[in-house]
Amino acid sequence: MDNRIAITIVTGFLGSGKTTVLARVLKDERFKNTAAIINEFGEAGLDHRLIRRIEERTRLLSGGCICCNMRDDLINELKEILNEYERGEIPLDRVVIETTGLADPAPILFSILMDPLLTNRYFVANIVCCLDAANGELHLKNNPESLKQIAVADTIIITKTDLVEKETVAFMRERLNRLNPAAKVFQAANGKINPEIIFGDGQNRMEKISRRENFSEMKHADDIHSMSIKFYDALDWTSFGLWMSMLLYAHGEKMLRIKGMVDVGEEGPIVINGVQHIIHPPHHLEDWNGEERNSQIVFIMKGLDPQRVIASLIAFQNILGSAPVIEEVTSNPY
Amino acid sequence: MCVLCGELIMNVHWTDQPLHDSEYRRKTRIVAGEGQRTRRRMRIKRVAVANKILAYYGLKLQDWNGSKYVLSDKKGVSNVVNSLGDMWQTASKMCHRTLDPLDPAFLQTLEKTHG
Repeated sequence: MDNRIAITIVTGFLGSGKTTVLARVLKDERFKNTAAIINEFGEAGLDHRLIRRIEERTRLLSGGCICCNMRDDLINELKEILNEYERGEIPLDRVVIETTGLADPAPILFSILMDPLLTNRYFVANIVCCLDAANGELHLKNNPESLKQIAVADTIIITKTDLVEKETVAFMRERLNRLNPAAKVFQAANGKINPEIIFGDGQNRMEKISRRENFSEMKHADDIHSMSIKFYDALDWTSFGLWMSMLLYAHGEKMLRIKGMVDVGEEGPIVINGVQHIIHPPHHLEDWNGEERNSQIVFIMKGLDPQRVIASLIAFQNILGSAPVIEEVTSNPY
Repeated sequence: MCVLCGELIMNVHWTDQPLHDSEYRRKTRIVAGEGQRTRRRMRIKRVAVANKILAYYGLKLQDWNGSKYVLSDKKGVSNVVNSLGDMWQTASKMCHRTLDPLDPAFLQTLEKTHG
């Protein structure tokens, strides 16, 4: 693809099986040149050559919001890995970062994208979130950190599925789809999972979501809502950039996640991917991969009425070049 | 670094990122000035669209030599901004309010003029 090194971020609440999944996939011969950065509290033994432990250290930027913090520990470690690789001391194909159970993935993204060196040498390929089939629902109910991890994820892995009934897993998948329609959900028993799911390119892809006609009523104004919209005509990219940067300027903290494919009238779509104020460099795909040619964008927001976003898009339709069509609006099932 | 003023620009705003970045990174030979035409065209377009939005707040944006933007109000106050990231912030300082794309009054005016 390009000359930057892929990073996979693995999140998940305490005891959700992150380490077990990682230990499994790192055993695979194809992924042996993966540098793993794990937090110092990880208790399960990871038997891997290129392992590094770091102590979480966050630099608070003055005037910044919660998502715009620098993770100094990570920046230093990623630079050190790069140095060792360039001196020829270690082989390196990719990096995997395992976060602590309570970590917010947003500052990690922010650190990688905002550091002038790192942003040109690394790119975030996939954000994986592990969720325990037995206790996951409880975590999501009680811990806002857990909800945020799911909202930010590209790939969700339901772990420990061998411990619960099949129906529980199916029910969980359905609820996760409502919470984050943009993520792909997989399941793993005993950490058994195809390593390509973890090391894939989830950040720069999005599968089309089929229409589910799911409009649920607002439960609470402060609640998390996800909304999936479509545009049947091509959008003007410059105008869309203006609208979105304006929206994020005013309401960035409430936009937990934006992910979508935008048809700009060119051969392939542009993949847009953002967490709060942090937007990945938009990525142009070569083609639609056989899928229907229309823009689809998923918004996950907290404390913001989805109808207001729609009203804004409708008012902007002549500037943007197309009117929005709501596919589904759901409120947080947890 | 901006050669005109010596200001260190550490980050490129996402709206200024080249869309074919990965294609570009694979290249071993890069022709100087390649893609400039597209970039300039995009900036002119961006200024035109931004002015449709900024009109409601009494502000005006101009492109400055293809490297920066100048944001001015009707009282003669001007500010130089680097990207859209700066622009919204500077604009709200200049008109003493948050520029909110969800504000119903703003949307109503926008629909009236460009609907």
